[in-house]
Amino acid sequence: MKKLQGNTAAKVCAWIVLLAAAWGAGVFGVRALLSFQSVPSDSWQYSGWFYSAMAERSRDLKEGIELSCQLDALEQRLAEGNADATLQADAEALREERENVGERFSRNNTWFRFRVLNADTGEVMGTNLAEGESMRKAVRDMRRETFAVQDGEVYEDVFYYDPETGAGYQTPPTAGLNPEAESAPVKLVLEYGVPEEIANVEIQDEFYQIWQTYEHDRAFFRQYLTGFGWLGALTLLALIWVLWTSGHKAGEERIVTTWQEKIWFDLYAAAMIAAVVCLTACIIWAAEQLYWGSANVYSRMNEDHQTFFDLGVLGTGALFAAAVGCAALLLRTLAVRIKAGRLAQTTLLCRVVGWTVRTVRDFVRFLPFTWKLVAGFGVYVIFTFWLTMRGRYDGFFLMINFLLQLALLLFLSWWAYGYYRLRQGTKSIAGGDLEYQIDTKRMPYDLRLQAEDLNNISAGLSAAVDEKLKSERFKAELITNVSHDLKTPLTSIINYVNLLKSTEQTDPKASEYIEVLDRKSQRLKKLTEDLVEASKASTGVLSVTREKIGMGQLIDQASAEWEEKLTGRKLTLVTTLPEGETWVYADGRHLWRVLDNLLSNCAKYAMEGTRVYLDLERGKGQVVLSVKNISRDPLNVPAERLMERFVRGEDSRSTEGSGLGLSIARSLTELQGGAFDLAVDGDLFKAIVTLPQAS
Amino acid sequence: MYTILICDDDRDIVSALDIYLTSEGYQTIKAYNGREALRAAEAHEIHLILMDIMMPELDGIRATAKLREGSNVPIILLTAKSEDTDKILGLNIGADDYITKPFNPLEVMARVKSQLRRYTALGGAEKGPGLITAGPIAMDDSAKVVTVDGEPINLTPIEYNILKLLLSHPGQVFSSAQIYEQVWNDPAYGSENTVAVHIRHLREKIEINPAEPRYLKVVWGLGYKIEKGA
Repeated sequence: MKKLQGNTAAKVCAWIVLLAAAWGAGVFGVRALLSFQSVPSDSWQYSGWFYSAMAERSRDLKEGIELSCQLDALEQRLAEGNADATLQADAEALREERENVGERFSRNNTWFRFRVLNADTGEVMGTNLAEGESMRKAVRDMRRETFAVQDGEVYEDVFYYDPETGAGYQTPPTAGLNPEAESAPVKLVLEYGVPEEIANVEIQDEFYQIWQTYEHDRAFFRQYLTGFGWLGALTLLALIWVLWTSGHKAGEERIVTTWQEKIWFDLYAAAMIAAVVCLTACIIWAAEQLYWGSANVYSRMNEDHQTFFDLGVLGTGALFAAAVGCAALLLRTLAVRIKAGRLAQTTLLCRVVGWTVRTVRDFVRFLPFTWKLVAGFGVYVIFTFWLTMRGRYDGFFLMINFLLQLALLLFLSWWAYGYYRLRQGTKSIAGGDLEYQIDTKRMPYDLRLQAEDLNNISAGLSAAVDEKLKSERFKAELITNVSHDLKTPLTSIINYVNLLKSTEQTDPKASEYIEVLDRKSQRLKKLTEDLVEASKASTGVLSVTREKIGMGQLIDQASAEWEEKLTGRKLTLVTTLPEGETWVYADGRHLWRVLDNLLSNCAKYAMEGTRVYLDLERGKGQVVLSVKNISRDPLNVPAERLMERFVRGEDSRSTEGSGLGLSIARSLTELQGGAFDLAVDGDLFKAIVTLPQAS
Repeated sequence: MYTILICDDDRDIVSALDIYLTSEGYQTIKAYNGREALRAAEAHEIHLILMDIMMPELDGIRATAKLREGSNVPIILLTAKSEDTDKILGLNIGADDYITKPFNPLEVMARVKSQLRRYTALGGAEKGPGLITAGPIAMDDSAKVVTVDGEPINLTPIEYNILKLLLSHPGQVFSSAQIYEQVWNDPAYGSENTVAVHIRHLREKIEINPAEPRYLKVVWGLGYKIEKGA
């Protein structure tokens, strides 16, 4: 297919076929056009050619009658004995001419039938009808002409003849007749016509030709039309081929443009359309010439008529082919330009309009927004005012005004919708969805600038957050892996320390050292566990299953777990719960860890002999759990620092505890959608867990 | 005389466990990866397997799955992975228990003993009327005796009643108030926090490691339950 498209020979062939087929179609078209006149008429006698032939015949006949009258007068004078040589010669010549006319109108030489009557007496003066033949029956349409003969001169239209009574009436003034003439005028009626049926082929006069042409036209019209149709279809096919292959060239992937495509399309189109219009005019002119030429009796008499006619038809066909060729050239360049996607580029009008629009738009766009607003409003007001003034008397302007207002409404709606989208996008981004990109398609220019800037900000932020999240994940993974690698040797340490403990030690100090090893290995174990938990909780890789949890129940369970240890530290746990169960949506295990860590903190850092307060309050859709205790050591760090990892209330790291408890508690609380706060007031340490209440 | 297969890629851990188990009078076979464990299990008559999860060649989870194709010998997983999903996967694949690293050797011994008792002595267990069981816990209501792995334990009447309530509804969560009302036969007026204390004591008596209970579980914020099918 590709190969065929680029084949030059095929292209040339297509052009040849196109032009040849167009030429043929033109020839057949002209033929069909010329023969069409015969098709719808009922009789061959309705053509212009026939009328002119009839007029010719009647004129000749009248001349013949005139001739006979002159001859009669001359014969009379000769009979009177006034015969000189000149008169004799004149009479001889007249006789000869008269003979010719008689020959021409003889029944054996023509299909023309006539009868000359005396209008007053009804006497038949002359005819070429057969004996007893009726004039009306012999011809298809009988024509009648009246004239008067006086002194061998024919005067037409001088009286009116009534065929019913057969009487001739003088029209009022016998105009034209010579009043001083020697003899009275003879009123004559000429009846003539041609039979419809032409059976005898031997009489070949002009009527026979007309009839033959008519029959020929009728017989061949369909063929001409069919020829025109097929060749037209072939032309169309060739045109399609030309358009399809246009721009393709063997060995070239892209569309190849020629010098034709370098011409501005509008100019090219104008030239081609002008050429087509001119050629069409020529075709019409030529066709008319052919028509009238063939209807003309005299031109028909020319023996070269048929040759000229055929040449004319061929020439007209060539004109048609030229017009089709011009149209094909125009379509071809159009196709190439469209294929290459350069139609707008190579159209002067488009370029000019596009440039103008762009310039104006850029100018308007880069105007400051305020100016735009003021200028736009000014134009609007002036225009509306003008339209209103005009619209008072003119419905058209009223309508334009109405349309203007409608357009303004649409414009404002467009703006408002753009603003709405911008607002939605901003809200989403502000709400933390940094991935959100505002769709700037079809947004007003000024809003689009704003939206694009916002998108850039959110993209930047999103990237930063992603980066941070990735690094946090990486950290959590690292910590998990490290702690896993720590656990294996730690297992051995704990096991062997235990084994050591069970063996006999000779040195009393040795068991003391073993005790230290045991304690520290236990602490290390706790530390690694807390480390993993803290990193998991802070990066949010923990799964959270929130369900309805009874806070009262949880506090009961937690205090049961811790009561003995706290009592062992001489701490008293004071729990204050509201009436009835308090429900929250939380993950029970995580919430237990929060409480466990807080109570564990109390056990580690609270001053002995004091009370630990565990208060639960609810209200305004929130549940607040607070744990208060008095610190054993002065808290020389601000509350916020306490929640950071590895920070403990005192700077020395001698006490047990990893320094991760509060950090874990905070992360876990936040994971469940709660808030975790610390407050330090002197030695009073207060941890507040706020959770949304479940109905 | 029971034979225990110890399988861990850390030789020190294997030998430490070996020392503990030998001193308790068990015979041990050592393996250092899953493949060796499978070979050893084929070659010897094994009564219990201690198996690490993270091992070269064949990890503990796959080795357990392979072993389970033809044997129901008790398998205790030793794991440094403390994620819940790992534990659940291990238990689903056919392990009987798990111990997280770093472990306390005493806990290992207790769990080994428990599993062995269940595997050998108890077997199908004599199931009579009035006998309620859940895992290793068996309660003979007529004799008012509770045994864990066949070892009788001492319970106070209140602990006994609480355990009976939970045992007769395995899997069901009871809140402190519900337990109080059922056991004390009194409406609860905020005095149910004693229930939590009783349950903690009960847990200490039943469970090997009360901080990580296997049978009597705390459902935080909701109540308590006996694990179904344990």
